[in-house]
Amino acid sequence: MQQGGGSDTQVTWEDQQNINKFGRLNNRYHELEDEIKIAKETNDNLEDASNELILTDEEVVRFQIGEVFAHVPKDEVENRIEDMKVVTSQKLEKLEEEKTSVLAQMAELKTILYGKFKDSINLEED
Amino acid sequence: MASSSSSSSASASKVTERRGIPGAQFVEDVQTYLTQSGLKICLLLLTIQQGLQQYKLVEMKLLAQQRDLQAKIPDIEKCLDVVATLEAKKGAGEDLIADFEVSEGIYSRARIEETDSVCLWLGANVMLEYSLEEATGLLQKNLDNAKASLEVLIADLQFLRDQVTITQVTIARVYNWDVHQRRIRQVTASTAQDSHGWDDDDDDEDDA
Repeated sequence: MQQGGGSDTQVTWEDQQNINKFGRLNNRYHELEDEIKIAKETNDNLEDASNELILTDEEVVRFQIGEVFAHVPKDEVENRIEDMKVVTSQKLEKLEEEKTSVLAQMAELKTILYGKFKDSINLEED
Repeated sequence: MASSSSSSSASASKVTERRGIPGAQFVEDVQTYLTQSGLKICLLLLTIQQGLQQYKLVEMKLLAQQRDLQAKIPDIEKCLDVVATLEAKKGAGEDLIADFEVSEGIYSRARIEETDSVCLWLGANVMLEYSLEEATGLLQKNLDNAKASLEVLIADLQFLRDQVTITQVTIARVYNWDVHQRRIRQVTASTAQDSHGWDDDDDDEDDA
């Protein structure tokens, strides 16, 4: 968010607020990227776990609750993992939605700010 | 050059403050701002940059707090999960068999008999026995508190980042204004130079 070349363009409070908003959105965008990555990993791990459960012959498996590995019947673990999968995929969906909306808002602000400041402002990542 | 007279209201300050974080001053017009501050351009830039450093310091502190809270929330959720499991076992009337870590890398097997209560570590070397319902209630309350503080903290951080952005933009504008002023001076100097032959060493010309 640096302005280059001594330009004459006046920066108004409204412009400043737009720049602030852009900064906030950009920040949120990066947070979302991280959160989405984590949610995807969790999803994959749960997927792996349920696949392993299908393969195993054991009736009782060790399932981590809190800090300990509880002995839990296979069926129950299957149910719990299914529930967890639903929760994480819903979360992932919500995050993706927010990311789309953040990107759209950023594009909007870019048109406004580039429209006014031309190449005196840089809103791209290096 | 920024026409100093056009914006009659000088640097109309939008200064607010939030939980002890002072708001950054938005500069409407650099010329007026400079005159008002009564500082040379390099000193003014230095002052603003010091303000930025202070903001950065507070940001680091808040980020550390945010990380702590973000780690605390899953921990509480884990606790709630365990209490819920114990409660479910109580209803079914069976023992909970669990492999637990005795020491790092060493596990043993425990049988937790049907129980009505758990002990919660309250901190400050105090542990208290709670019924399962009470424990759930307390943990839930802790969870809600942690989530609420996280929300406030995130809002604080957003406010702070706005102030950082304002300060950064101000630095860029003051700097650019200075560059622009010098350029003008140079042009006028070089056109007048042939007749007078002076150097363009103005007193307030310092590298920022």
